[in-house]
Amino acid sequence: MQETLATSTLSVPSRSSISTQDKFSTAGQTSSTGPRPPRHSIVPPPSKSKGWNSGTKFHQMRRTIAEDTEWSLAIVPLLTELCIQHIVKNFQNNPLLKQLLPAHQQKVLNLLSPDLPLAVTANLIDDENYWRRCCTQRWPVCHVAKHGGSWKRLFFERHLENLIKHFIPGTTDPAVILDLLPLCSNYVRRLRVDQFLPPVQLPPPPGELSDSGSDVELEEPATDHYQLRDLVAGLSHLEELDLVYGVKDCGMNFEWNLFLFTYRDCHSLAATIKACHTLKIFRLTRSKVDDDKARILIRSLLDHPALEELDLSHNLIGDRGARAAAKLLSHSHLRVLDLANNQVRAPGAQSLAHALAHNTNLTSLNLRLNCIEDEGGQALAHALQTNRCLTTLHLGGNDLSEPTATLLAQVLAVNTTLTSINLSCNHIGLDGGKQLLEGMSDNKTLLEFDLRLSDVAQESEYLIGQALCANREAARQRALNPSHFMSPVMAKGPENPAG
Amino acid sequence: MNPPGSLGVLEEKEEEHLSTPILGPSIHSDNPQKRIQARRLRIAARPEGRRREVLGEYLDGKKESEEDRSKSYRQKEESRLKLAKLLLCGTELVTNIQVATDIREIHRRVEEEEIKRQRLEKLESEVKTSQDKFDEITAKWEEGKQKRIPQDLWDMLNTQQVHCAGLIEDKNKLIGELQQELKTKDDQYVKDLKKQSDDICLLLERMEEQVKNVMKTFRQELNYIEKAFEVERQELLTSTKKKWERALQAHSAKELEYLMNRIKKVEGYEKQLNKQRIWDWEDYNMIKIRLEQDVQVLEQQLQQMKATYQLNQEKLEYNCQVLKKRDEESTVIKSQQKRKINRLHDTLNNLRSKYAQQIKQFQEENQSLTSDYKRLVMQFKELQKAMRHFAVVDDKQFREIWLMNEEEAKDLMSRALDVDRIIHTHHLGLPWTAPEFWFLRNVGPLSQQPQKSATQILEEVLMQAEEEGMEETASEAESYLDLPKQISAKTTRKILMLLCDESGFLIESKLLSLLLPLEKNECYLLRLDAIFSALGIESEDDLYKLVNFFLKYRIYHSPSSQEQTSPMSALEPGEQTDLEGQEEESLVEGKPEEKEALPSPRLIHPNDVLKILEAFVMGLKKPRNSRAPVKLKYVQDNSKDSEYWEALTTVIPDTTQSLWDALYTGLEKYHSNQTKPRGPGPSLAEDGGGLQ
Repeated sequence: MQETLATSTLSVPSRSSISTQDKFSTAGQTSSTGPRPPRHSIVPPPSKSKGWNSGTKFHQMRRTIAEDTEWSLAIVPLLTELCIQHIVKNFQNNPLLKQLLPAHQQKVLNLLSPDLPLAVTANLIDDENYWRRCCTQRWPVCHVAKHGGSWKRLFFERHLENLIKHFIPGTTDPAVILDLLPLCSNYVRRLRVDQFLPPVQLPPPPGELSDSGSDVELEEPATDHYQLRDLVAGLSHLEELDLVYGVKDCGMNFEWNLFLFTYRDCHSLAATIKACHTLKIFRLTRSKVDDDKARILIRSLLDHPALEELDLSHNLIGDRGARAAAKLLSHSHLRVLDLANNQVRAPGAQSLAHALAHNTNLTSLNLRLNCIEDEGGQALAHALQTNRCLTTLHLGGNDLSEPTATLLAQVLAVNTTLTSINLSCNHIGLDGGKQLLEGMSDNKTLLEFDLRLSDVAQESEYLIGQALCANREAARQRALNPSHFMSPVMAKGPENPAG
Repeated sequence: MNPPGSLGVLEEKEEEHLSTPILGPSIHSDNPQKRIQARRLRIAARPEGRRREVLGEYLDGKKESEEDRSKSYRQKEESRLKLAKLLLCGTELVTNIQVATDIREIHRRVEEEEIKRQRLEKLESEVKTSQDKFDEITAKWEEGKQKRIPQDLWDMLNTQQVHCAGLIEDKNKLIGELQQELKTKDDQYVKDLKKQSDDICLLLERMEEQVKNVMKTFRQELNYIEKAFEVERQELLTSTKKKWERALQAHSAKELEYLMNRIKKVEGYEKQLNKQRIWDWEDYNMIKIRLEQDVQVLEQQLQQMKATYQLNQEKLEYNCQVLKKRDEESTVIKSQQKRKINRLHDTLNNLRSKYAQQIKQFQEENQSLTSDYKRLVMQFKELQKAMRHFAVVDDKQFREIWLMNEEEAKDLMSRALDVDRIIHTHHLGLPWTAPEFWFLRNVGPLSQQPQKSATQILEEVLMQAEEEGMEETASEAESYLDLPKQISAKTTRKILMLLCDESGFLIESKLLSLLLPLEKNECYLLRLDAIFSALGIESEDDLYKLVNFFLKYRIYHSPSSQEQTSPMSALEPGEQTDLEGQEEESLVEGKPEEKEALPSPRLIHPNDVLKILEAFVMGLKKPRNSRAPVKLKYVQDNSKDSEYWEALTTVIPDTTQSLWDALYTGLEKYHSNQTKPRGPGPSLAEDGGGLQ
């Protein structure tokens, strides 16, 4: 319809000339049907114009269109259409967008190719649809919800991640990434890099490098990865940094030194995150971070203004690293601390418990797959008696047994903030289970309590489950929102235990 | 609401599910614990199943109690619980893999640690034994150096070689073992990788299944809920339809009933209407006849009225014409009047202007007259002044003339008296007494007897009071001849003292301070002086008037002290009351003496003094206003003057004159007799007789 209207407006001047002779109605009209097709290209058909002159001729107009089967308005392209096409064609050289009318802007955006250079489009186009096309063209699967619902953000974040992932120090030009920086700095809020390629080495005898640590130490200066410092300093809105120093899909080319997180890497990363004051979430997983490196990193994070979540899971952090983390707890606003699958033992857990006892920020603590044992577990339970903030505690696979369960049962009766506890894969034992059950009978806030594979009697597990159900129902009644049913006990997804 | 048991039950179910696929493969692994656990779980699940059935029944029973709730609500609750369960179980099912992996990892770690420890021990023991062997070999080298016989040496070397070979073999064996172990570890690693990929596959499968399941169940539950709603709606619909139909039926039945009632009523009303109609018809006819008669009468009247109307019309026409004429006339008159009005207006204006002029003129005149008047007043005042001056001068002259004349007269009188005395003593030989006349002592004009001023009187009074102790009555009689008879000096004094005490406000404060050091009497004197000057009491008379006023006032109010309808108080009733009180008060002081002197011993209260004073002042002012006391004096006194002078002439009484005449004649006779030398005797006798 729009098009017909537009064409009619275009044809106004010519029509006015014809409308004067509009009296020669049907006779001339029937005669004109024959010769019209060859010459209709510019001059619109008189029958069409006739319909516009007076309302009484509408029926005639309709009839004439029906008779003229070959004639079509679409053949006449609009000037605006032509202009838009031209703009689209020359968009790279002459990007005209903001000056256009909103409707025309939309048309241009719909027609623009997603392959245009980013230098042109990055700061000019805000239209989500365009970026959506760009994303879907490049990647088959896009979770826009994980990027704040913004396609543009998704595009830039993934683009940047891609570049970093495939950056080879020494061979790739750093300008490739740094050139992009001014374009994407406004849109990138999260950087999730799960691969850092090591510098390419000359094809040496590969057997020499493989296993022995001495070789690695010799080679270490050469295996430094991409330095994030310049990049992160340029990203003014960066809030999340998720790094894995490792190589994906190495297949049969596996070598230990592909997975090296060197001291220089560590120092540079520490300086980077210290300088980034907007950072809220920092994750460094599966990167062989040992005590010393963890201490370097954590020291740089002390008194960080914005940091809320620290994830150092699947590393090699021991008690000293845990002690550093405990210090960080009292020197920051950390809300989530994840030390899953590390080598924290009882002393580390004790220092963490000491920090936790008077902490008012931390809501979630994950110590899965460590070895804190009863000593650490008891310390943590003691700390929970005074803590009024922690809501989630994961102590799965920590070689805990009955004494910890006894103390935890006491905590359960007192604490009113904990909503989720995970004690799976421990040796709680039958008596421990009974004590936990007793503790649960006084608790009204706990919603999740995982005791799978922890040698607890079926009976008590079942009864604890009942108590949890009652609590959940109460919570639902309180909030009138059964959303917590959705939240899974452990949303970690599949793990690769063989690191 | 939430069936608490079912969750745990389902969890168990999940465990059951879990144990088969996950731990199934692990049964084949060389971990005996896992196998045992898996079996244990499987066995434990069985009684759970039975218990679940029981619980389910129990739950059904519980659900029945909710029958009273609506079906859809129940369906919703059920679906919600079911879905929540499903989600929970699904997540558990998925996370079970992770948990299983975790525990496997833990076990692996424990085993690894154990193996590591064993390996280390083994290595250490190996190191020890090999060291021993090595030491042995090195010791033997020393031994071999001392050997001289080549055979021995060769033997020893051979044995050494054998030892070394043994040592190396041991080491190689160890290395081989370790390599074997490494290989098995590699195999294990590959297996683990496979296992993990299997796990991940399983996980994915489960997740997909879970998603599908959840989708399916959600859809199903949605359908159920929708169905439940549908059913409920249907039920509601049918029930409401039934209700509606019932109501409709009731309605139609009622309508029918009403219809019947209505028909009946209509019939009844119809009958009534007919009856009414007939009756009305008759009535109507009657009325019609009557009205027709009326109409006839009225028509007659109408005719008459028409006649009168015509008559009136004519009259009115005539009147109209007359009125028109009058109107015309009136218009003419009006115009005339207008003109007149205009004229009058003009005159009015003229008059106004004239009036204004005249006002101005009169004002001027008035001004001139007032100035004249002022001048005249001034002149009059001057004239008065002159008159007063002249009066004084006249007075003086008069007095001087009077004195002169009097002196002359006195002279004459004394001469006459002298003559008389001589006549009496010398000629008649009679004793002579000087005649006593009031006028003899008089000096100066009678009317100009110096009036004593109030202060003088006061002084007198006060002085009197001092001497009072000695000669009470005498002084009274002497100096108070002029005073009203009923007033004693004491009373006067008391009243004055009272006045002095009460009306101190009339005295200037400065004066009061000056008075302090003075004597009591002087003090009183000065005070009273000031008070009198304030009150306007100047002369003696005024003072007496005041005293009299006080007394009268008291007397008037004696019968009823509080009465206010006395003749005087009638003038100023408000002030009277105060005066009364003061009067009484004053009497309190002068009680002992006053009582004797006064017929009505009422007391003057000090509070009344002011009232009395005020009344007095008001009364005193009136006579003062008239300005003619001076002239009147003269007029009155003139009569006395003539009297006086007349009296002077009679200083020698007629008898004496006649005596003198007789004496004269006698003496004449005597003289003549003397001159005539004859008969003095008898003449003397005669003379004597004449004199007698």
